[in-house]
Formats: sequence, structure tokens, C-alpha cells
Amino acid sequence: MKQIKGSRELQEDVLARGLCVDCGGCVSLCPYFKSYRGKIGMIAPCTLSAGRCHAHCPKVEVDLEEITTGLMGRAYDGAPLGYYLSIGKARAGEKIRGKARFQNGGTVSALVAFALKTGVIKAAALTGREGLVPTPVLATSEEEVFACSTSKYTAAPTIACVNKYTMSRQDSLGVVGTPCQITALAQAKLDPLKKEDFRDPVALTIGLLCTWAVDTRKFIPLVSGKTDTGKIIGMDVPPPPAAVMEIHTTEGSFSIPIDEIRKTVPTGCAICPDMTAELADISVGAMEGDYSWNTLIVRTARGSALVEQAVSQGYLELHEMPEANLENLKRGATGKKKRALMRAKEEGLLNTDPETGRAALRISERVVERILTLS
Amino acid sequence: MATIQLKCDPYNLIIAGVGGQGNVTTSRAVGNMLSQLGLFVTIGDTFGASQRGGSVMSHLRISAACSWSPQIPLGRAHMIVSMEPSETIRTLRDYGNQGVKVITNTRPLLPIGVNLGQLNYPSASDIESWIGEMSERAWFLDATAEAMAMGNPILGNVILTGALAGTNELPMQRGIFAEIMAERFSGDALDMNLCAYDYGMQCVA
Amino acid sequence: MSELLKGKAGSRHLLMGNEAIVRGALEAGVSVAAGYPGTPSSEVLERLAELAGDEENNLYAEWSTNEKVALEVAAAASFAGLRSMAVMKQPGLSVAADFLLHLSATGTRGAMVLVSADDPGGISSTNEGETRFYAKFMEVPLIEPGDFQEAKEMTKWAFELSDKIRNVVLLRTVTRLSHASGTIVFGSLPQTRARADFKHEGSFIDANAGPVLSLPVEYHHNLQQKKLQQAVALFEDAPFNTYEGPDNPELLIITSSVCGLYSREAVKLLHAEDRVGILKLGTTWPLPPKLLEKNLARTDKVLIVEEVLPFLEDEVKVMAMELAHRIGIKTFYGKKGGLLPSVGEMNPDKVVAALSTILGIPYEGVAPDYKQRAAEIARAGSPVRDWSFCPGCPHRASFWSLNHALAMDNQGGFVCGDIGCYSIAAMPAGFSTLKTLHSMGSGTGIASGFGKLRQFGLKQPVVSVCGDSTFFHSAIPALINAVHNNSDITMVVLDNSGTAMTGFQSHPGLAVDAMGASGIRIDIPTVCRAFGAEVIIGDPFELAQSQQTFLDLIARKGVKVLILKQACALSPQKRGHKTLDVKVDEDLCIGEDCGCNRYCTRVFACPALTWDNKSKRSRIDDVLCSGCGVCASVCPVGAIKTMEIA
Repeated sequence: MKQIKGSRELQEDVLARGLCVDCGGCVSLCPYFKSYRGKIGMIAPCTLSAGRCHAHCPKVEVDLEEITTGLMGRAYDGAPLGYYLSIGKARAGEKIRGKARFQNGGTVSALVAFALKTGVIKAAALTGREGLVPTPVLATSEEEVFACSTSKYTAAPTIACVNKYTMSRQDSLGVVGTPCQITALAQAKLDPLKKEDFRDPVALTIGLLCTWAVDTRKFIPLVSGKTDTGKIIGMDVPPPPAAVMEIHTTEGSFSIPIDEIRKTVPTGCAICPDMTAELADISVGAMEGDYSWNTLIVRTARGSALVEQAVSQGYLELHEMPEANLENLKRGATGKKKRALMRAKEEGLLNTDPETGRAALRISERVVERILTLS
Repeated sequence: MATIQLKCDPYNLIIAGVGGQGNVTTSRAVGNMLSQLGLFVTIGDTFGASQRGGSVMSHLRISAACSWSPQIPLGRAHMIVSMEPSETIRTLRDYGNQGVKVITNTRPLLPIGVNLGQLNYPSASDIESWIGEMSERAWFLDATAEAMAMGNPILGNVILTGALAGTNELPMQRGIFAEIMAERFSGDALDMNLCAYDYGMQCVA
Repeated sequence: MSELLKGKAGSRHLLMGNEAIVRGALEAGVSVAAGYPGTPSSEVLERLAELAGDEENNLYAEWSTNEKVALEVAAAASFAGLRSMAVMKQPGLSVAADFLLHLSATGTRGAMVLVSADDPGGISSTNEGETRFYAKFMEVPLIEPGDFQEAKEMTKWAFELSDKIRNVVLLRTVTRLSHASGTIVFGSLPQTRARADFKHEGSFIDANAGPVLSLPVEYHHNLQQKKLQQAVALFEDAPFNTYEGPDNPELLIITSSVCGLYSREAVKLLHAEDRVGILKLGTTWPLPPKLLEKNLARTDKVLIVEEVLPFLEDEVKVMAMELAHRIGIKTFYGKKGGLLPSVGEMNPDKVVAALSTILGIPYEGVAPDYKQRAAEIARAGSPVRDWSFCPGCPHRASFWSLNHALAMDNQGGFVCGDIGCYSIAAMPAGFSTLKTLHSMGSGTGIASGFGKLRQFGLKQPVVSVCGDSTFFHSAIPALINAVHNNSDITMVVLDNSGTAMTGFQSHPGLAVDAMGASGIRIDIPTVCRAFGAEVIIGDPFELAQSQQTFLDLIARKGVKVLILKQACALSPQKRGHKTLDVKVDEDLCIGEDCGCNRYCTRVFACPALTWDNKSKRSRIDDVLCSGCGVCASVCPVGAIKTMEIA
């Protein structure tokens, strides 16, 4: 049963514990939390004993049972990839291909551009970049969508953009986010505080497959010494055996050893059991083995409808996912789940007794057992 | 020199309020009025930093015999005139006694601690009953409302000055007040001040 | 206040202690006065400056850059044969101390009086430091008026004394004298007009016409001590040392300053006039031995009443010990024994308590049940009234933005400050932003030090604040230090166009001088640029812009100066000239709900922003609101609206 507390507890439970991943879920709900260059700070405490900031935060009192039941009408069973309707291999269709530099297949950009074009959404909350600092962007045109293409490994406060949009009383918003951000949105959608004027403007969520992100402030010193950050055009982590992160600039590329990068991963990522954004309409990631394609997971009816239409109108190309890739994907996702639960347990953050404090995660003990014994 | 018999000698008057309400001006006006009759007047003010929202008090010692210290001993006020209700209570705590008389403006000026949500401000009815309980005689005026109706909130002080005169606790003469005001004001401004004074006088009649 | 000049001899006036000092100085024929604003001394210079504004009055008065310069300016007048006065509060005396040390050794020519005002209890200060010890340290005579008439008489007398001994005389006053008012009878004003002439052709040791030096050191020091002895001789017969009471009282009170009035009142309250005698000293250092011997011989028990520290107590005890073979051993009561406190200001009740104990006389200020009930009521009925920034104060806006920026930057950045209205930023009303607070200009000096600690691992952004007046007073050397030593600091000059806390006096950054005449305006940005600092000018009322500027500046190395310029709400150009009407739209205000939780009243906390507990909405108090409109930028939902007043 999820405990909902206020700003002071958010400060204690998440910020002070170093669990914050700068998802932006608590920003722009009110003036008390702000994100600046990758870090969230509390300006002043609010005196409410229960607030949306604590309720939406993906790093405290995330009751996966409650969320899954509330949103999808199903129990949370700990399946490696979460619940899905279909899974495939995808890339941008001919209408989109070549229009921008994409991280992999350009699937996300294609889907968002299509959703905008067809009016499924009126705007999209995406993530851009200023130098190495990730910035939320509200895109309303194809150009603006493409300007946000390519992965930013740095955690970004994109949900702040969603919160602002909600306050402006507009609707039909699309959001592209990491699993933690998608989780924040899922919690928000359940109207945890039962507000009279509750609005949910989100019409589409696209989750990004994610194993970890990096803390902006720790990441910048690693990179800025080596290049003019304004010249960076992309970054990626090639598959093993390459143990580096590659930074691509207008003047060539260079690498940083992955061990150095790992030091900049926020602690919050270590307790995250969700590699595939299990609560999104559609989840997209790199296709293992062929980086010019994407893995595409469709989870909901509206996600399914969008993909179908995008394919039929030449915005998306979709094929079957090879069995081997699927197995590897499941293995990778399971690994992340196990590591996360073990770490959370160690830190006393899994199913914490409400008498003693707040948990980061709540999953039924039966499912926890199950996950930990999965291979 | 002075053949005036005061109700008590020294007569201890406190003018209390919040910084910026015109406390010092009022204490000067009253002090001057009485000094002109040949009485010894000592006024002890706190001002300066207290402008920034803090409590202010002026202690007036009025005597036919000699000069007294600028601080009234605890529990020895004869009359408290206050521009702010919670300041009245604060003053009564330190300087009140069974026989004290009180004139209070009823308009609250919230301490910043109340705005910040850390403190509570008492209700008007509580204030009124407490002041009544801790004094021999109490008069309550909404001097600020009347002053604003007259055109300037600072006239609240003048209304209270008039009220003080109206109680006849001290030998305050309207003519002397008019002279003192005429040194600083003329025309409409002077009239407004005299109007305020007169209004205060009738409030306690 | 031309009353101070117009009043004829014999006329009665109700005046402040400070005004009495002014009249005394005028009656003594003072020509030049210099000072720096400081409560409770400021009115002395203010009144003189008002009078000096009229050429007819043949006076010069100056708000000097700081107290050291003020003392130097007054000294110059003295060297030129004019009568002069320097005015400051006690911490200012510390600023002037280096020069005073040398001045007291060189001596003076025209009579010179140094007025130093203490603030026992720190009513308007961040300390309750003492002037009196300076007299002993600097070896100059110390006198203290005990009431309002004496404030006038003794100021006049101080000039005569200074004339006789050819050295500066230190006159000490306290808040309860300077800012209190009493009845004063005027004396007559001099008819002659003084002329200035600095003679310097004489020999080294020609005190009247040679160069003004303290060399040779021992020679001048010897002279200095002889002057003190001369003063002591004059002290023996000074009319300001008075005794009242029985010839041989049970208890002798030795007191000075307003404590004389408190002592007298305490004795009356206990009806102990036949048991207690009061020796009220006006000349308090050095103590006149014959006078002390005569009075100490009256009885065996002595109570010393003074504020704040046991200065007089120590001096009297030493003297009593030296005289013991003639007058016997005395029992002393005072601060050292704990009967009177060594902290905080004196008042009649504290003296009553001491007397009550010594004499065994019970005393009840008020009936105990009244006292108890009144205290009970006051707990709920009179919530504490902390200081706050005035409605419309630019500092509230500046610290709002600064606090936001430091919170967002999230690296433990902090602000070092100094003395002025912005000192309030140490309190919740100023978002508790100020983390060090000492003396004028010290914020930037401390910041300069912090800014060099990077090599020891200090990563926190370092910020300092000062005002436009303290900038000139003593922040400049600190700024130079930071630039020269390449310290990493952001210095913020809060320029509200005046020395606001003390009553809006002028300073070198303004185009007007103390006397209201036009003065040369020194441009703060130009000065800072000349030192090599990076300078940015902003308007603190532009919250978003200020916040962004702060964020940019604290990220950079070196010395950056941000000048936030916006006039004080109480300044002549703003006071009473409300240009905006500000109102809360109750339909938009979300009050206590998640999303706001009374951000404006509870966090921004302008006194004019009140919370209506019935409607559960914020409301603007029209009487208090100054119309600055800054709160409109604070409201997260844009519920605060501003409208220009026609």
C-alpha cells in the first residue's frame, strides 16, 4: 500500500538519500522543486503532509502492484519484459528516413512525427540538449521533433515539461521518456491525491529501453575537457566487447572508458527494476546486433493503433523480432530486475515497514521471490 | 513653575505600536503639548532598526516635580495608548497593573511570523476580552478605518491622541495641539489633523 | 529643526538627547562636524547638517565615507584652529581607533569633541560594545552626560575642557539618552565667527605652530599623560559630579550616564531616600581621586550601577584599594558579584532588584497574580514580532533570487554579509540567506578568504553582499584584495540609493551631500571595473533575470560584481508615491493546495501579503502595500495582478 507524503519527506527519502534521477516528476507541479543542470533542489519546504511530488516520484513508494492493477487491470507478475501485445524489429519508414541523424533506426522520431501529423497528439514532451545539459522540449512540429533525435545518456527533467503542459490545461500530449519517467507518469495518471481539478493530458507514451543513465554534473567534467560541447552531435555505447562510450562530434569521435562512465551513474538507477519501460504504450530501444534497427514493444491498444497506421502510411517499417534477440532481451531485462531488487533489499528500500519509513519499491513478496529465482 | 496637579506624579504613559506606524511622532506631539504647560516630560523611544516591522514603545514620564528616567518600571504604567492590538497585550504583560487604562486601535498588523505560518494571531474577540480583563478601563477604536476614510492611515495616531485627550487623564489642551500642528502643517493637511483629533475625542466621550 | 539655532537663552524645549548635544555644540561655537550614520548617534550629525545647509550659519557638516575619515576630517578643522566634532556609534569608534591612537598623542588645537554612542542591549545593533575603554586605552578624558540638560551642558563643557588640555575629549552617550527626549533649557550662542588657519612652520615640539606629529613618541606620550592629569584636576570641581542623599548613607551608589536616573528612580520606588546616597559621575575617566575619596568615606557599602561592562566598577575598586589605608575596606556590589547583569541594558527594575537584596526591602512591581495572568495571556495574545523587510524592499527581491539560485545550483553556496537593512537576510524573512554577519564591509573580506580555499577542497560558491554605503565605508579594500589575490567570489552590491537603515543619509555614491548641497557622485560600477572586476548591473525587481544572472556568475571563476540597483521603499523618491495597485484574483489563487501551499504569504512573506483564513485565499493589505508589484512574479499561477494607478 503506497504511502503518500509531502515535500519534506521527498527531500529526506529521495534527494538526501542520493536516489534522485532528475526525471522532473516533481518539477513544475509547484514552485518548490527546481532542476538545474541535471540536479533537483528544493527551494523551500512546503508544509503539506501529502503532495503530488512525493506521489509521482518514481524513486519512493512505487507500488508496482497498485500501478499495474490501476492502469492495466492486471496483476504485476514480474515478467522480464512486462506485459505486451507484440514485439518486433522496426525502423523509420521511407517518409522519415534520412531526415535527421538517428541513434538507431529512428523509430521514436518517426512515431512522434506521425502522431503529430495525424493529430493523435498536439505536442510532444521530448529531450533536447544544450551542450551536455539535457533540456525538456515541447515539440509541435516535425523539425522540432528531429532536433531532439539521438539519445542523451544524461538523465533529463522532461516530466517538468509535462507538468507545465498539464497546468496550462491543454490536452493530447505525447511523451518520450525513460522507464523512471514513464513510471512517474503512470503514478500521476492514477490521481493519487484525488484532486478535484485532476487532468491527464497525456495521449501517448513512448518509453525508451534503459539500463542506466548518467548524472549530468558528473558527466560533464569527463567530456568537456576533451571537446567543445557545442560540437557534440551524438553519443552511444557500442555493444560488448567495446568497453567504452563513444562521443561523436562535428570534428570526429572519441571514446571514454565505460568504467569511468559507470562512476557517473546515479544511485537511483541501481534500484530500478524496469529496463523496458513496462508502463508505456510503446517501448523502443536499440536492436541488439544491428544498431540501424530498433526493438519495438507494443503494450496498449492505442499504442498498437498508432504503430499499425504508421506502418500503413510509410512512416514505420516493422518486421519480426528474431528469437535469439528476444531471448537476449529477456535475459538482459531479468538481470536488471534482479540486480535492482537485491540492491533495494540491501538498502532497506524494498517493501519497507511503514512504521519505520518509506520504501522505494513495493512488490508482493511472492513476485520478489519469483524474480530473484529467474534465470 | 507648574501648578498643575497630575492624577499621578509621575504619570506614566506608554504609546505602543509597530515600527512605521508613527509612534515617535505621536509621543513627540503629546510630550510637547504637556511640556508647554511647564511640566517635566521625559520620553524614552525605541526606533531605528525597529522600523523594520518590530515592536516599538515610547515611555512618557510626565511630572510637575522633576525629570524621571526614560524607562517606566515594570508594572507601573497608568495609561497605554496602542496602535496595534497584540502590542497592547505585549505592553500589558510587562507594564500593566490593575489600575491601568488602555486605548487601543483595533486594526491588526500581522507579525511576519504569522505570514510565515509559524505563529497564530489571536482573534479580535479574544483580544478585546483580554484587554478588558487586564485593565481598569479600556477603549477600543478602529482608528485605521476612520483614518483611511479621512484619506491617510497615518492619521490613526492623531485620532488616538485625541482619544487620549478626551479621557482627561492628562491636561491636554486642543489649542496647544493646534499650535503644534500648525508648525508642521497648513491648509487642508492641518484641518485633517484637527478633524482626526476631534474625532478621537468624541470616541471616548 | 532650526529651533536648535533659533531658541533663545532661557527658553525651554522638549528635545532628544542627540539634539541637546547639538545645541551644546552650537553654544560652544562648533564650526565643523563629521560622522558616519550609526544608531543611536545619527541625529547629531543630521541636525548639524541641516543647519549647515544654510550658509548664514557658518557651519560645515559631512557624512564621511567612514568613521576613521570622519575623525580625520574633524581633526583637520581642529588643527586649523576651529572647534570641531566627530560623531559615530561605538563600533564606528573601533573603525576610527587607529587614527584616534595617533591623534591623542599629537594632541589638538581648536577644541575637539568625539561623540560616541553605545547601544546597550543591541536594540539597533549586532553587538553591545563599549566606548568607555577606549578612553583608557587612548588616554583621553571621558565624560558621560546623565540626563538631557547635561547632554547640552556637558557637550559645551567638553569643548572648554578640550581647549584647556589641548586634546580630544571623548563624550559617551547611550541609546536611552540619545534617543530619549527631555526638557532642556537653552544657553546663549556665541557671537563671533571662527576663522581657519593651519600653522605649521614651527618646530617639531611646537604644539601650536609646528607640524602635527606624535614623534618623538615618548615625549608626546609624556605630554599626553600630563594633559590627563590636568583634566583630572578640573574633574575634581566639575559640576557634573553630584551627590544626593544623607551624609553617611547605609549604601552609596556610584553611577554614571542614564543609570543615574534609573538609580534615583529605584531608590524612590523603595522609599529608601534616607538609607541610600547617589554619587552620579559625569567625568568617568580618569576618576578624580579627591572626589572619590570624599564620597567613598561616607559608608562601607558601595553599589556600582553602569552599563554594560564593569568599567567603572573596576576603576573604583582600584582607587578604593589605593585609598584603603585612609578610608577603610569597602564592600562592593555590582556586576562582578553577579548582583547586576553584565549583559543587556540597565533599567530601574534591575537596580531595584539589587537594592532590594542589599537593603532587605521587599518590592513588588505589580501584584503577582496580575503578572502571572498577563504573561499567560501574552503567550497567545502577542505573537513574536520579528524584523522583516519593508513592503517594497528591493532586498527581499534580491535575496529571493539569490536564494533560489543557490538552491538550484545545489552546491552548498552561501552568502557573507555586513551591516544594513539587508542584515535581516540572516532571518527567515530574508530566507535565512546570510550565513556570516559581522561588521561593515566584512562580508566581502570574509568572502575573499573563502574564495581562496579551493585548493583545500572547498567547492561551494562564495557570495558576498554589501550596501551602496558600506561599499564605500570598507568593502572597497576587501574587493581590491579579492581581485588582486584572484579569489573566486561573486560580490553583490545592493544599491538602494542611500544609507537606509539609519535614516537615509547620503554617501559618496549619491549626488547630494549631508547638507543637501550637490556633491560629486562616485559611480560604483566604474570603481569596480577600475579594480579589474567583471561588473554587471541589474534590477532586483526582475526576478527571473536576476536569478539567471546569479546562476551564471556563481559558475564562473574570479571576481564578479553584480550591482542590483533599485531604490529603497522608504526613499524620498518612493515613499508615499505608490504607482501600482496590486490585487489577488481569488478565482485563480489556489491557496493551501498542492501546487502552491501559500507560496506568497508563507515563503515570500512580504508583510503586505496576508492570508485570509475564511476565504482561504491570499489578500493584499492596501495600507501596507507599497505597489512594487514583485509578488506578481512570485505567484505560480499568475493570480496576483498589477494595475497602474492613474
